[in-house]
Amino acid sequence: MSDTASLHARDLVIRRGASPITEKIRSGEIVGLAGLDGHGQERFLETLAGLQKPIAGSVSLERCGSERRITDFRKAVAARIAYLPRDRRATGIFPTQSVLDNFAISTVSEDARFGFIRAGHRARRYEVYRDRLSIAAPRPDAPITTLSGGNQQKVLLARALALQPDVLLLNDPTRGVDVATRHVLYDVFRGLAADGMALAVLSSEIEEILLLCHRVLVFRDHDIVANLKGSAMTTDAVIAAMFGRAA
Amino acid sequence: MTKTPLHILQRLWRDTGFALVLLVILLVVNLILNPTRFQPSAWGSLIGLAAPLIGAAVASAPVILGGRGGIDISVGPLMGFVNAIVIQLLFLKAGISSPFVIIPAALLIGAAIGAINGALTTLVRIQPIVATLGTYLVLTGVTLTILPAPIGPAPAWLKALAGPWSALPLIALFAAWWTIRRLPYYDQLMAIGSDDRAAYTAGVNVTRVRFIAYVITGVFAAIAGLMLTALIGSADPNIGQAYTLISIAAVALGGVSLAGGRGGLVGASIGAIDIFLLQSVLTAFNVSTYVLQIAYGAILVVAVILTAVQERAARGREV
Repeated sequence: MSDTASLHARDLVIRRGASPITEKIRSGEIVGLAGLDGHGQERFLETLAGLQKPIAGSVSLERCGSERRITDFRKAVAARIAYLPRDRRATGIFPTQSVLDNFAISTVSEDARFGFIRAGHRARRYEVYRDRLSIAAPRPDAPITTLSGGNQQKVLLARALALQPDVLLLNDPTRGVDVATRHVLYDVFRGLAADGMALAVLSSEIEEILLLCHRVLVFRDHDIVANLKGSAMTTDAVIAAMFGRAA
Repeated sequence: MTKTPLHILQRLWRDTGFALVLLVILLVVNLILNPTRFQPSAWGSLIGLAAPLIGAAVASAPVILGGRGGIDISVGPLMGFVNAIVIQLLFLKAGISSPFVIIPAALLIGAAIGAINGALTTLVRIQPIVATLGTYLVLTGVTLTILPAPIGPAPAWLKALAGPWSALPLIALFAAWWTIRRLPYYDQLMAIGSDDRAAYTAGVNVTRVRFIAYVITGVFAAIAGLMLTALIGSADPNIGQAYTLISIAAVALGGVSLAGGRGGLVGASIGAIDIFLLQSVLTAFNVSTYVLQIAYGAILVVAVILTAVQERAARGREV
C-alpha cells in the first residue's frame, strides 16, 4: 500500500445520452458519491469496479507512472481494486459458510503452501483483521449468519482488505449497521486513507458523507452535477445539487 | 479451533444429521438379524457389494455442492459406459488386462464425459438437469451399441477389488476427496454453492470452479464404474442407469443440500451406506423389491424433512 495509486475515469459515459465523466480518485483521498437513488452513482461505482461496462470512455489505474486499463471485474481485482457490495445478504456473505471461510474466500491461495490450505495460517491472518476492525465473533468457525449485521459487514470489509487493495470502492458500507459500529468503520476508513489508499464511498446518508469524505460528487441523471469540497460541502449544497436546484 | 473428538462428532452431526442416526440403527438391526453376513471375514465382499452405490453417491456430490441446480444424472450411465468399454473393448477385443492401462483409461473417459457435461452447463449454459439428461441418453445408447448383451469375464485383479481388496478403490476415492478438501479449490466450490453472485463479487472464477466440479464428478463416476465392474465381474449394458436416482437419494439422505453449498462427501457416503443397509434388512425379511422401492422413497422423504427440521432449529438458535 506504500506506492501511491489513483483511479482514473476518462470520458466515462455510464448511460446512453449522459455526458462523459472525467474524474480522478487519488491516493489518500476519500471521495463520497451522493445522489437520489438510481441517478447513476451506483452505476458509476460499479463501472469503476469493472462490474459494469461503460457506454464509452475508460477506467484505468495509475500506479507509479504506469497505467492499467480496467475492462472487467477480474482485471480490477488483479489491479488491487476491492469492491464491497451493497446488498450484503444477496451478494456479500455465504450463509452456509463459516466466518473464517467468508473472510478468506477472495484470498484463498494465500493460505496455501504447496497447493494445500494451512488452517492455522488462515486463522492468524483473520486475527489481524479481527483486531483491527474489532469484529465481535466468538468463534471463527461458526456460520457467519450467527453474527450481527454490523459484524457481518466487518467480515466482508476484512475480506476486501485482505486483498491489500490500493483502491477501495464501498457501496453503502454502513447500511443497516448500528451507530457504534459505524464509527469504528469511519475510523478504519480514515486510517486506510492516511496510509495512502484511495477510497470511494457511496452513501445514501448525506451526514455520513459530510462526516467522512474529503469531497463529494453529486449525481443527477447519470451526470456529476456538483463536485464539492471543504467549506462548500454542506447538507444544503448537496441536497440542492441532488434535486437540481441552485444552492 | 480445537479439534476434540466431540467437536468432530458435532460437526458430523451438523453435516449429516439424521443419516448418522439411521446408520447406527440400521447397523444394529443388521447385526441382530444377520450376524454372519457382518462378521469380519465377510467384510471384504460386503464392502465390495456396497461400493458401487457409495461411489455413485460420492460422485454425484461435487456438482450438487456447486449449487445453482448443479446435478449430474449421467453418473449411472457413465458407470455403465466405463463398464462396457473396460470389458468389451479393452479386455475382450484389445486383449488388454493390465491395470496400468485400464484404470487410467477409465479415469480419462470419466474426465472427458465430465468435461462435456461441464462445458454444456457452464459454457453453453444449458440447465444441468437437461444437459446431463442428454448425456444420460447418449451414453445409454452408446453403451448398448458397443455391448448389446451382457458379456464376461473381467480380469482377475479387477474382480479382487470387489473381494479381499474391496476397500482399495473406496480408499482411493476418499483420499482424492481428502486432498481436494485441502485445496483452495474446495473453499471456492463451497462458496459458489452457497451464493454464486457473492462468489463472483468476491473474485471467484465461478465458471471455472463449476466446470472442474463436473470433471471431478466424471472421474469419481469412472471409479464407481470400475467398482461396479469388479462387483459384477462382467459387462452389462443395463445395470448402470439404476445408480443415478438411488445415488441422488443417498446424497439427499446424507444431508447434502440439493441447493448447494451444504454437506459433504462423508454425508453422501453415509447416505449410501444407509440405503445399502436398508436393502440388507429388507432382504433379510424376504421383502419383494417393489416394497424395497417404497421403503427407499419413504425413508428419503422422512430424512429430508428431519434434516430440514434440524436445520431450522439450528437457525432458530442463531438468529
